[in-house]
Amino acid sequence: MSTSRTSRRQFLRMLAAAAASGGTAALFPQLRMIGNALANTRALTGYKALVCVYLAGGNDSWNLLVPFDAARHAVYAQARGGVYNAGTNPGGLALGIPTGGDIALQKIIDGNDPSSASNQYFMHPAVNSLANLYRTNKLAFVVNVGTLIKPIVMADYATSANRPPQLYSHSDQESLWHQGNSIGNRAIGWGGRCGDFVHGSNPNQDLSTCISIAGSNRFEVGLSTVPYQMSSGGLATLSGVCNPTPCNGVSASSVRDNALNALLADTYASDFSGEYSRVFARSRDLFNLLKAGLDATTLVQAFPANNSLASQLQTVAKMIKLSKAQNFAARQIYYVRLGGFDLHAGLMAGANDHGDLLTLVADAVSAFWQALAPGDVNAQNEVTLFTASEFARTLQSNGSGSDHAWGGVQFALGGAVNGGRLYADGAGLIAGFPNQAPGAANNFSRGQMIPGIGVDQYAATLAQWLGVTAPGDLAAIFPNLGNFGSGNLGFV
Amino acid sequence: MSLRNTVCGIAAAVSALFTGAALAASHDRLFAYGFDVPADAPANANEAARFLTQATFGPTPADIARVTALGYDAWIEEQLGKTPTFGTPFVEQVVNARTAASQSVGQRQRINRWYWQAAYAPDQLRQRMAWALSQIFVISDQNSAISGYVVPMTGYYDMLAADAFGSYRTLLGDVTWHPMMARYLSSFRNQKPGATTSPDENYAREVMQLFSIGLVLRAMDFSPILDNGVEIPTYDQTTITHTAKVFTGFTWSDAPTNPPNFYGGGLTFAAQNAPMSCFGTELFPATGTGSNNMRHDITGDDGTTATSKTVVGGVTIPPNQTCAQDVGDMLDILAAHPNVPPFISRQLIQRFVTSNPTPAYIGRVAQVMDAPGANLGDVVKAILLDPEARIPPSLAGGDSYGKLREPILRLTAMWRAFNAQPQAPDTYGEIQMTAGSTQTSAFGQGPLESPTVFNFYQPDYQEPGPFADNDRYSPELQIVSESSVYSAANAYYNFSARAYLGMTSPPADRPLVDLSALTANANNPAAMVATIDSKLLYGTMSPNMRATLTSMVSNLSGASAGEKAWSLLYLTLMSPEFATQR
Repeated sequence: MSTSRTSRRQFLRMLAAAAASGGTAALFPQLRMIGNALANTRALTGYKALVCVYLAGGNDSWNLLVPFDAARHAVYAQARGGVYNAGTNPGGLALGIPTGGDIALQKIIDGNDPSSASNQYFMHPAVNSLANLYRTNKLAFVVNVGTLIKPIVMADYATSANRPPQLYSHSDQESLWHQGNSIGNRAIGWGGRCGDFVHGSNPNQDLSTCISIAGSNRFEVGLSTVPYQMSSGGLATLSGVCNPTPCNGVSASSVRDNALNALLADTYASDFSGEYSRVFARSRDLFNLLKAGLDATTLVQAFPANNSLASQLQTVAKMIKLSKAQNFAARQIYYVRLGGFDLHAGLMAGANDHGDLLTLVADAVSAFWQALAPGDVNAQNEVTLFTASEFARTLQSNGSGSDHAWGGVQFALGGAVNGGRLYADGAGLIAGFPNQAPGAANNFSRGQMIPGIGVDQYAATLAQWLGVTAPGDLAAIFPNLGNFGSGNLGFV
Repeated sequence: MSLRNTVCGIAAAVSALFTGAALAASHDRLFAYGFDVPADAPANANEAARFLTQATFGPTPADIARVTALGYDAWIEEQLGKTPTFGTPFVEQVVNARTAASQSVGQRQRINRWYWQAAYAPDQLRQRMAWALSQIFVISDQNSAISGYVVPMTGYYDMLAADAFGSYRTLLGDVTWHPMMARYLSSFRNQKPGATTSPDENYAREVMQLFSIGLVLRAMDFSPILDNGVEIPTYDQTTITHTAKVFTGFTWSDAPTNPPNFYGGGLTFAAQNAPMSCFGTELFPATGTGSNNMRHDITGDDGTTATSKTVVGGVTIPPNQTCAQDVGDMLDILAAHPNVPPFISRQLIQRFVTSNPTPAYIGRVAQVMDAPGANLGDVVKAILLDPEARIPPSLAGGDSYGKLREPILRLTAMWRAFNAQPQAPDTYGEIQMTAGSTQTSAFGQGPLESPTVFNFYQPDYQEPGPFADNDRYSPELQIVSESSVYSAANAYYNFSARAYLGMTSPPADRPLVDLSALTANANNPAAMVATIDSKLLYGTMSPNMRATLTSMVSNLSGASAGEKAWSLLYLTLMSPEFATQR
């Protein structure tokens, strides 16, 4: 029952051995890196998991976290074409300052800011449950984070070598966020590279460190790590054959099952057939490993219905519970995803507007957090959930929505998170919550922010918490990290 | 190679005949050549079936006979000249009948019709081209801006089919002016700059990134043009902001103009499917009374001043033109951009033939597309007749020629090879094809059902492992996962083991396959396997697979002829060899 994972790792060891014997490295320049992937495997104990919540399409995060104090709110509101009002200002994109009872629900202060008596914030009215988690210091914001090669200011932007490639393009910026660096499109991501380093610590070597509930993604692909892709519907059985496979006897199902396994065990000259076969075989192996246990794993916490993200996070919670109970893993990395954030139109009103999407996020994430509580999964201190999105959006309205921009706001949640604070200083050239006046020092005319913090810094902070701490390991994953003032933002 | 010379010679003769509007006539003339033995006839039925796997939704015995009789070139010419099969008249009738009977109406009606066309339409090459184009010029029912527009979305797809062999510029124009595209990428009711707003940049960006030129300058063979080793972007954010002004002023074709109502219209299916109206100077005076109705980027009396627009390549579109002039200029500029032939040709090659065309192959097709007066019919012909399509490299380890078959194309190939019989139309005239509504989640793809404008998979996707390690592409593997191999296989089971002629209690919501070609040899496992090899794998089944399947059928000795047959079909549908088209 050798999985492709096993055979791939064997292949890597074989190559590494060949490299060590000398001469081969010149022919295969990537061998040195593969050697590192194995040599740097650390022995990690306990259990920790990262959960990436990807908000696809470009989350308009400047409406997730908004200045509360009148002076800065006025700047924000003006930049967004005024406070939205269906009757009098349907093109405005700003949220109004909460009043009355909503103040207590939405308002937050920045525990990192000595001027927090005057500099205050509120969160989008759809995410009151997340505001609660912020106020209990479980949730932290990272402010004005985005793709960067190195810290820059406006004057540096004109030189193309100073800025990431293909800014504002969905596909390209998503790739860079997944990679955790801005050095051009690569096929591997920072989660997968972390997997390369930590997988050796996992008791079960068949189950990938990286698990996706949202299909293929670059984030979880490493040099030797390939994500296991599950469905939020759990593990389906395969019609007409044996589940699990194989089964005894001479039933027709057993005959077909044997034939299928023979086809999947064959080798194929076509890489298309080979890869399809490998995925199929891995699917059967992991079904055998997980099916019974996952079906038997229940959660006390209920998850909201009609919420794709909630269904995905429910499966993550079950997998964490199962993985801990059966000691599958010391380290895991999960990937979930919610689309629809590309709100060029209908940002403030209509079906699936920004508020609707943030409601889905808040409901799903809150249920997940509750499911991690003692008495259920019992892993609140062992799991860190974080958001990512390819870019924030223009502050300026296009009539009923916003367009692609750059730096924005992300959040991290977990018992290990130093929450209740904004992290807006990466020891670079731009720090603090940005001046949102269009065309101000480091934003462009439509309110597109030059990030003050690089994705590299955000990701490296999370990677270090997971256990990838050796400078050489970090440098291998985040080759540009040295360009930034701080390699650890301290939010977790 | 003689085939290569013959193919090129014929292609040159055909090109010479293609002169603009005389296209249809040239097809007739060519078809009238009447070779007794066509010079480019496939050597055998397997070669014909391989060609038809690339060019259609799957080979049928009739098509194999036809292409064998005509030769590749004349078969393509015949297909280019066939009357297009459209969905709108049919779907509209079903929708109206269901509505009249207070039955729910949804995308299921459009999708049932799509599967019917894929399985049964005689203009297979056009349908296959429309399917390919729908994966480039993407709109999707996953977006609530159009998910309720079942009939006009069918109309959008029909438009792709109608334009499938016409000029690229015509297609680009029809796509741009179609209200379903405009609603999907929010150019619909997009407006000129205001005091606090700028035009929506969505369409301006994606029409360049995805529908025409792509992100970086490219040579005809698709290789990036480098400046000191660095790729050169085709445009920047400033270009986008300027271009966004071009795509303003659009609304429904029947939006009232007297008195004007930019937010009115869209009252009939026909109006929802017709090219949009534009509130520009073609409808309203540029100054004075009525000019405040202007929504296109021209000087209005609200204090905004139109400006010239510096678009891709640094070309300037002057201010104060009509909407049609601005859009026409912009699309002319894009269609004439040297990136278009390699950018579009490469993606079409990936859809029909191989995920990894050589630069030379892309270059040959792009040259055809770049020729004066060339149209997309020429392009698809060049793709299919190219030596790299017709003569596969010999199969050796690490092979990345060909492509993973799209999950839907595996189903349609099975239907067509095994003469699947459609259900009779139901009370509302609808023919049930899809066994309910789970197709998209089962296959990871569906007609006009992409999760985003970036299609189900991207042309540059590289599966981790050999593809990524060797810098090879594998778009369709992006939707193959541990989860989707199971869901797709279960769907194939429901379309074969649970849907064949002669079974007990056959379902009424999907076609029934005809297993008689297999059951006729129920006592001869080797003969059954040979049949499935020729019908689904055009004779390429490996000895190992042949042995495995033969042994399986032998071991099913207690099973009925029907179960032996569907077991063979089901296993083949799941097999790594059938998953690949080479």
